[in-house]
Amino acid sequence: MEVLERKPSTYDILRAHGVDRRTFLKFCTQSAAAIGLTSAMVPQLVAAMEKKPRIPVIWLHGLECTCCSESFIRSSHPIAQDIVLNLISLDYDDTLQAAAGFQVEEIRKKVMKDYKGEYILAVEGNAATNDNGVYCTIGGESFTNILLETAKDAKAIVAWGSCASNGCVQAAKPNPTGAKPVYKLITDKPVINVPGCPPIAEVMTGVLTYLLTFGELPELDRQGRPKMFYAQRIHDKCYRRAFFDAGMFVEAWDDEGAKKGWCLYKMGCRGPSTFNSCSTTKWNCGVSFPIQSGHGCIGCSEENFWDNGPFYQRLSNIPVPGIESTPDSIGKTLTVLSAAGIGAHLVSVVARKGVRNLTSNPEPEKSEPAENQNPENRGN
Amino acid sequence: MAMLIETKTPPLKPLGKKETEVIPQATKRHYVWQVPIRLTHWVNALAIPVLFFTGLFIATPFFSPTPGEAFERFTMGHMREFHFIFGYVLLLSIAVRVYWFFVGNNYARSGFPFFWKPSWYKAVIHQMIEYMHLERGYVNIGHNSLAGCSYAGFFALCGFEGVTGLALLGEGNPGGFWDRVLGWTTPLLGGSFRVHMWHHLAAWFIILIAMFHIYIVLYDSHLYKDGLVDSIISGEKHSIEGDKDANTWIS
Repeated sequence: MEVLERKPSTYDILRAHGVDRRTFLKFCTQSAAAIGLTSAMVPQLVAAMEKKPRIPVIWLHGLECTCCSESFIRSSHPIAQDIVLNLISLDYDDTLQAAAGFQVEEIRKKVMKDYKGEYILAVEGNAATNDNGVYCTIGGESFTNILLETAKDAKAIVAWGSCASNGCVQAAKPNPTGAKPVYKLITDKPVINVPGCPPIAEVMTGVLTYLLTFGELPELDRQGRPKMFYAQRIHDKCYRRAFFDAGMFVEAWDDEGAKKGWCLYKMGCRGPSTFNSCSTTKWNCGVSFPIQSGHGCIGCSEENFWDNGPFYQRLSNIPVPGIESTPDSIGKTLTVLSAAGIGAHLVSVVARKGVRNLTSNPEPEKSEPAENQNPENRGN
Repeated sequence: MAMLIETKTPPLKPLGKKETEVIPQATKRHYVWQVPIRLTHWVNALAIPVLFFTGLFIATPFFSPTPGEAFERFTMGHMREFHFIFGYVLLLSIAVRVYWFFVGNNYARSGFPFFWKPSWYKAVIHQMIEYMHLERGYVNIGHNSLAGCSYAGFFALCGFEGVTGLALLGEGNPGGFWDRVLGWTTPLLGGSFRVHMWHHLAAWFIILIAMFHIYIVLYDSHLYKDGLVDSIISGEKHSIEGDKDANTWIS
């Protein structure tokens, strides 16, 4: 390998691996399409890959289930192995790398030192904050400390999945470990939230490709999510939307509507309140996504989605002390109670009038009007 | 400001009195509710049931169109359409009412909730006891403190429904006007799903206020014979000596 004065770029690495220029350009075009760039942007992407040095990535695993990694390695375009092996320099990932034990931690420390302020920190899972973070320790150190330490010199942080972006199941009530999403712990660095349980593989690679080719953060929405993947609701791009607008709903899992593929709204589908690209990008190389396979969306990329259950009810339960109820049952109960109160008041008025009429004889009424005629007695 | 007209209408009877009694009452007629107040009231009265009905349908579609193909029907689409149109109607009506709060007569500002003043709490409690006692105390020619309190609640709820509703409407057009103006409120309430839930729950409270409103107005009107029900059509209320007028700019 020729000696380079600068740090090797992605193109240099690819060339060293025997990739020809044609394949490289195809890869660039494919990547551009994946991250939603127009063809006019391809030369810019090519130039970035040719010149910019590869950025090292440290990939941490906290309280999580590794579903994000599982999803990531199933990416179809850009091919995950290209991303992992060529595009990014994945220097530390305790799940994927061959090294173990102290060696691994040394690599992390080395990257942090050599690429101070340049490396990307990818975080899968979140950190437990209760009891000094003992609920997640790696190599004898609490994950919370590792996260804070590694984040200190990072250029940017990518929060993979719902765990890192908004807490997911660990942070659901009652959150015994005090799990907190990354953006709540690290406030002085840019954090890209890539929610989903897991996020779509193409979304993950798309975010990384953008970050590494342009060296800057993609446009983010208010919740720190890349707009190119999380701007729209699943509902608005759902192929069953026509049935929603028509008012044709699945009422039971085995009814006629379910067989005909009607809207799953009444079965609790969270599509109308979930921002993700499942209905456009789909999963597993565009094979399908939950709604297409006949099951409503559970809103896995939304904040608090575990606490918004049950998943098969459109209006979720509201925890009123003592009882679990939906907004409708609360509303109905209060309406009935109010009607009862009004009724009681009305009855008491009528009863009082009746009693007054019964008890009053014709004569003593003279004293009463006098009382009422006098404005002084009217309570002002 | 208040138009006082001496009338020669026959005196009305208070509750529980025999027909033979003649009590001098309602000797004065006051022009209380100006046209915008009455107009917005009836616009609200139209919009709220429409919004509540369509809103319930949107949350839980309780009837389905006749069998057929999706392209032939637009049931949910129409429900949402009506919901959004009447949502705007209600909001505009409320905007007019709020404007009239500042430029209208003193009655337009009567019953203002002075929640920072202990005397206001006393007045509210007094008014409650008043209704509980089922007897006439003094009557406010404008809103009494309890009415003002519930209307403040009504406007707060409508404001909440407006903000959450428009934020949800904006979700369909990311980067659009409502998304940019009100989209930031959604994360504050714990995400889109929770906003739907709160929007739905708050609607029930508006219906509760409407129920109490209708009952108390009928009851008050029957008890005090002050023409309260008629006043929202004619704008005029009746009073007798000792009733509390809205003499100050805000009361």
